Amino acid sequence: MKTTRKRPIGFYIAGSWLSLIVFFSIFGKLLPLPTWDASDYEALGLKPFSSGHLLGTTMDGYDMFSGLVNGSRISVFVSVISVGLGGAIGAIIGISSAYYRGRYDKFVVLLFNVMLSIPNLVLSLALISTFASDTQDANASTLRRVVVLIVSLTIVIIPLVGRIARASTMQWTSREFVIASKSMGTENRMIIRRHILPNVAPAMLAIAFLAIGSVIIVEGSLALLGIGIPGGASWGSMLAAGRLNLEFSAHEVYLPALAIAFTVISTNWFGDYVRNSLDKREAKI
Amino acid sequence: MSSILRLENLSVSFQTPRGSLAAVRDVSFELNEGESLGVVGESGSGKTVLSRATMGLLPGTATRTGKVSFLDKDISAMPRNEVRDLWGTGMAMIFQDPMTALNPVRRIGDQLMESLRVRLSMPKKEAKAKAIELLKRVRIPDPEGILRKYPYQLSGGMRQRIMIAIAVSCEPKMLFADEPTTALDVTVQAQVLELLSELRREFNMAMILVTHDLGVVAGHTDKIAVMYAGDVVEFAPTRQLFKNMKMPYTEALLKSIPRLETPTGTRLPVIEGRMPDPTKDEPGCPFASRCAYVTDKCRAEKPPLIDNNDGHFYRCWFPIGGEK
Repeated sequence: MKTTRKRPIGFYIAGSWLSLIVFFSIFGKLLPLPTWDASDYEALGLKPFSSGHLLGTTMDGYDMFSGLVNGSRISVFVSVISVGLGGAIGAIIGISSAYYRGRYDKFVVLLFNVMLSIPNLVLSLALISTFASDTQDANASTLRRVVVLIVSLTIVIIPLVGRIARASTMQWTSREFVIASKSMGTENRMIIRRHILPNVAPAMLAIAFLAIGSVIIVEGSLALLGIGIPGGASWGSMLAAGRLNLEFSAHEVYLPALAIAFTVISTNWFGDYVRNSLDKREAKI
Repeated sequence: MSSILRLENLSVSFQTPRGSLAAVRDVSFELNEGESLGVVGESGSGKTVLSRATMGLLPGTATRTGKVSFLDKDISAMPRNEVRDLWGTGMAMIFQDPMTALNPVRRIGDQLMESLRVRLSMPKKEAKAKAIELLKRVRIPDPEGILRKYPYQLSGGMRQRIMIAIAVSCEPKMLFADEPTTALDVTVQAQVLELLSELRREFNMAMILVTHDLGVVAGHTDKIAVMYAGDVVEFAPTRQLFKNMKMPYTEALLKSIPRLETPTGTRLPVIEGRMPDPTKDEPGCPFASRCAYVTDKCRAEKPPLIDNNDGHFYRCWFPIGGEK
């Protein structure tokens, strides 16, 4: 007896946008588009909807559309990896601390609070300028930048997801079915895997969607500060490069900004949707 | 008959912000193999804590003292993982509320097969066959179909039967039933109790049946322990207790069961007043303030557990039937 609930229109809009971004990030390289990092000297600063360049070009002749497609790859890669990694570590720490309690739990709470008190932008700034900044002799490689960026974002995500996982686990651990399973002699690890995790997962999924949104924003902000992924490879760095030409070709700025905005709104919306359907499910139990 | 469970001076207290709360005080009794004991008392009298403390399933805020022996082994001194080996296969528990004691996001089959696969390391096929057999035994129609269902798709009575099937799946020697019928309606109550008695005979299980309803234990237990404010106030074989009760509290409990004969319109008899504050240790009988036969001695001094020399124990200075 499955009841199909009518989904709100926003679900489809957000869903299509996100699938489009994911599609571009995976298959972008296979599409018949101009190369994103090669300049077309015959088409400098074209407005959007010009022939040959769907979304125009920059003042330096780079194709905007291929730039955005390529940027989606970087953005999706960075946000999915850091949220996935941070979420997994946060979930393990959060669930285990709420389940076993005691001194370990107190330590974890303290650790999360300390981590949350560090502004994420400042943390990323510090890490990147320490470990992946350009020196006089050589520029830091893109790979190094990306890795340090991901690590710093992961550190930010851990307490975010961990706190939610901990709170949710506490609520489920005192449920009777957990005690019931325990009373049958099931081991703690098995109880966590079979009884706690499936119940905690939706809450973590909801927060993970919100986290993806904020990671994209942070990446954009860092690029604007000049320490993002170099060479205009991500949406943020396109924006950073384009802002110099704002008065001549505004679309260099607003197109990547729109891409960031749509993506963040969509992930936030998705996170809300997951949380809402979770609340409805809770009410039924 | 050999002893399966022996409690010696079992006490449980909880650390609360208002001080130490004595939930169970100095309880001792013995239960033989295959026997069933009813633990009766009002809400907050410590009956649930007693059964959980016996198994070792207390939360971290509780302290347990005294000795619990299961099959002549002192399990109160055992390390936790050894006690856990006894859970499920040695002793198992049925919980009060079948609505919350099943995991809402997992199928009945997975939950029923969990302990079979984990505790008895059965292969999946065998576990499934056994699960179907168990469901048939607790009289659930269409067992194959039920295995694929989620808890919310079943009625309260069916869920309680599934809880029972899970509890007996590893054929424990001892079953704790913590108010198994409280959440069910009266017609289903009788069926579930009958089922429990039947399974008990079949597997030769001992059982502790916790309930607040004297009527429930009457037909399904060999012995009864009446609890009040953490104390066992009367302990006797079931027949003996109903024929010759000594405690005014037991009598008051029995009187407060509604009867068909009472004319409509009469108010139901209640036990006036409330239980004493469990965080305070006041002198005198804890029941003194509510007892119909109270004397000055009751208010001054707490009665000990008196042995009547026929398996009947009571905690009263002036038992019913004795000279006043």
